[in-house]
Amino acid sequence: MKLAEARCLWTVLLVAAALVVPAAHGLWLDLPKSGQKCLSEEMRDNVVVLADYYAFIGETYDYNSTIVPTISIKVLSPFGNVLHHQEKITHGQFGFTTTESGSYTACFWVDGDGHNGKSVSVGVDWKTGIAAKDWDSVAKKEKIEGLELELRKLEAGVEAIHQNLNTLMYRELEMRAVSETTNARVAWWSVMSLGICVMVSFLQILYLRSYFQKKKLI
Amino acid sequence: MKFRIGIQMRLSAAVTAVMVILCSFGGAFGIRFVIDREECFSHKVEYGNTVHFSFVVIKSEGSWHYSEDGVDLVVKGPNGEQIHDIRDKTNDKHEFVAYHQGVYRFCFTNKSPYHETLDFDVHAGHFLYHDEHAKDEHFKPLFEHIGKLEEALYNIQFEQHWLEAQTDRQAIVNEKMSRGAIHKALLESAALIVASCLQVYILRRLFERKLGASRV
Repeated sequence: MKLAEARCLWTVLLVAAALVVPAAHGLWLDLPKSGQKCLSEEMRDNVVVLADYYAFIGETYDYNSTIVPTISIKVLSPFGNVLHHQEKITHGQFGFTTTESGSYTACFWVDGDGHNGKSVSVGVDWKTGIAAKDWDSVAKKEKIEGLELELRKLEAGVEAIHQNLNTLMYRELEMRAVSETTNARVAWWSVMSLGICVMVSFLQILYLRSYFQKKKLI
Repeated sequence: MKFRIGIQMRLSAAVTAVMVILCSFGGAFGIRFVIDREECFSHKVEYGNTVHFSFVVIKSEGSWHYSEDGVDLVVKGPNGEQIHDIRDKTNDKHEFVAYHQGVYRFCFTNKSPYHETLDFDVHAGHFLYHDEHAKDEHFKPLFEHIGKLEEALYNIQFEQHWLEAQTDRQAIVNEKMSRGAIHKALLESAALIVASCLQVYILRRLFERKLGASRV
């Protein structure tokens, strides 16, 4: 009996917690009157991306505002494929799993101008990798809750840190290779430059000698 | 077995505290953008949050620039008060505690004439503890520690993002240097050849003029 009550209380408070976390989350940026504004992020392949965006006018996001501007959005993969494209929208979401590693870009621009010259802002709430994981479905599937779920989240966080560290190590390896190549290049090409200098001056002397001999000066 | 069942009952009641604790993390937003003159971002922060932010200039579009390509960053609070003023830096990492709830603005200014690619990361989160639900004294320190652990892990991820951005910048500088070594050698050889041809030409003209004058 007590357990069922406690569980009910828990679900109610979970929902309350979800509402405590405000929907006006994320980073807000101002859109210019003409032209687009693009945000990008470098991501490896096989990473889940979930994003939520909303347009508003004014200093802060007001749910009950009657003035709703419309914007357009385009999301591109590193090779230029369009992953998401929407026109004249105020609030939307998109999600995808990355198939190639590189820079993923999201571009926003304002539709027309009927906003009385006020600047339009767009809020972007962008979650990648571990932050985008749907913990509710994991909890339901594996029937874990509470403390075990939180510890599972922490374990996933630590795994993500470990993967990041691997990526950093790989990048450092690439940079080391480039440094070694630069070292070899500086050595060989300097010697080549010096060799050309010596050869050219030698040719110069030969030519001048033959020229002076022809003009009977020597 | 008995111990597990006992915990389970207290757990469900106290777990609500954990839910509200751990849902209070604002999340981290690491993005890259190209800055022309000025770019501003706003972020809504709750009272008491510790806000960590970092930025790295990844690359500058001008190919033969020699000066340090730094940007200015001004962080302003919701009432317009200045929290941080950073001038001419290529990368930096700071944190501050938000004593007022509201919208904080991060404004970047680019003083160099070239476009620059900037990596900006902001992370707001704090350890909020709702006392009224956790009635059990045994679990209070446990949840406190789990909250601290989560905060520490988020901090590590934030610092790793900054380190990754700096590594990207260094990779670009390294590649430029590598290509520059070859270009420099080629340019130098070409300049030497042109200089010696010019020398020969000038000497010939000098002697021809001298010879021409004396023969006539």
